[in-house]
Amino acid sequence: MKAAQVIMATGANAAALAVKSARVDVVPGYPITPQTSIMEAMAAMVENGEMNARFIPVEGEHSAMAAAVAASAAGARVFTATSANGLLYMHEVLHMASGGRLPVVMVNVNRGIFAPWTLWADHQDSFAQRDTGWIQYHCSSNQEVFNTILQAFRVAEQTNIPVMVNFDGFAISHCLMPLTLPPQEDIDRFLPPHEPEWRLDPANPSSFSNVTMAAEYAQFRQMLSDDIIASIPLVKQAAQEYKDITGMWDGDTIDTYRLEDAEVVAFAVNSMAAELKLSIDILREQGIKAGLLRPRLYLPFPAEDIISALPQNAQVMVLDRNYNYGHPGGILASELKSVLFGRRNDITVKNRVMGIGGIDLTRRFMAAEIRAMMDE
Amino acid sequence: MLELRINGFGGQGSVTLAHLLAQAALENGEQGQALPFFGVERRGAPVRAAVRMSPTTIHAHSQCELPDYVVVMSEKLIGAAVSEGITAIGTVIINAPEAVAVDKHPTWHVDADAMAREAGLFSADGPNINIPLFGAVCRVLNIPQNIMEQTILNKWPGNNGERNLGAAGKAYNTVTQISL
Repeated sequence: MKAAQVIMATGANAAALAVKSARVDVVPGYPITPQTSIMEAMAAMVENGEMNARFIPVEGEHSAMAAAVAASAAGARVFTATSANGLLYMHEVLHMASGGRLPVVMVNVNRGIFAPWTLWADHQDSFAQRDTGWIQYHCSSNQEVFNTILQAFRVAEQTNIPVMVNFDGFAISHCLMPLTLPPQEDIDRFLPPHEPEWRLDPANPSSFSNVTMAAEYAQFRQMLSDDIIASIPLVKQAAQEYKDITGMWDGDTIDTYRLEDAEVVAFAVNSMAAELKLSIDILREQGIKAGLLRPRLYLPFPAEDIISALPQNAQVMVLDRNYNYGHPGGILASELKSVLFGRRNDITVKNRVMGIGGIDLTRRFMAAEIRAMMDE
Repeated sequence: MLELRINGFGGQGSVTLAHLLAQAALENGEQGQALPFFGVERRGAPVRAAVRMSPTTIHAHSQCELPDYVVVMSEKLIGAAVSEGITAIGTVIINAPEAVAVDKHPTWHVDADAMAREAGLFSADGPNINIPLFGAVCRVLNIPQNIMEQTILNKWPGNNGERNLGAAGKAYNTVTQISL
């Protein structure tokens, strides 16, 4: 058996290498900071023959997703990537991918939304796509980006639901770190070729996503809703089998750190959740029983796993890098409260918004914030 | 976990220096991380980059606010770089024509500018001071010289690598600690 190879790679490169090892057929792409380096890497790998795929440069993100939808309907394994306003511009076509039950996989490199312009990370862009019917992962390390893209293709093709893999702009996308590349034959064993149940085929003309009457439409919507919830065991299975094959583990629906005996639980996603592991260590040294619960899946929100993982009577400090406009706080806190209501009345939820537009979130700052929240 | 911040001006090659250091950590059997701060880039504007090295997985993804080492790529930035944050006993490594000591901090000096010029290392922005600085920082961090050299040759196989080796090696062997 070949050994895994360790290289230095940015998060953006990790994403491009995962797409290459997933043997993707079609990549429609349009550049936007900080995602551009993924598309540059894809274009280069197709150009120099490293990847046997069709790269389709398009004139905007709406077209990028439209091309992805069309190529997926023709039976191809499809990948694209975007950020912030590019993702928002795709919004309408995201519904076509999920409603059409097309297993597109897309990376969104999280970035704050215009106006005013910002280049740096927050999570308003991906959370704003909550109701588009896409499964959403959020990743906290370069390695997790690589691992998750492969898991995402498997889950997407098993469920016929598109999957979005999110990670922070710059803090991950432009951060150079060691990356373990499993041997290609192991990846091929984990992710077999895409064999769609049907495809658009000029030799055998058919149409799809035609006009439906109310009862049919409602039935399609109910199926999508049910199948998104039913993807949770498949997400877990993908994480477990990826671990069995590669030895790597980033959590399944959730990731935890020093959680078992925790009285104070930090709850956050993406790179700040990695940094929070260091904040937890600082708080533990100060005698505070702190732990971390990081939802790796944002959608479907892993309600049962969160409910069973939280220790008795814990205070949960939700650190939101986004705003839930109209409510005093962030979106994750709102999701968490709706899950706990009537199920875990022993839990207290506190919430702060921080890190908007890429404000640096250091281990010391977040440890101090959590301490301050304990006294609120 | 060792934390280091590079303070320089846009065009001086701080991103490449950060990448080389992270790569050298990996060559040296450790984990390495380079996290440059990307702004709205302008040549000549102050820039910074975070570098971390650790025997275990690095979870930090913030800029280095209180690093153990600060690399100052121009003597014009000494004051700003130190006041941006460094641990109480943190070490400063300075590229300057003459030796300068920073109050209360162990300070190392290297004339990277002269060494890059001498080796004929130039780009559109001027001498490639990041190459001798890489050698100097490796010496201060006790990264073996052969690891430093291998890192350069892996990045630039062939003649460019050889030319870079000369300047980096000279800096490695001549960077000096200023006595306080």
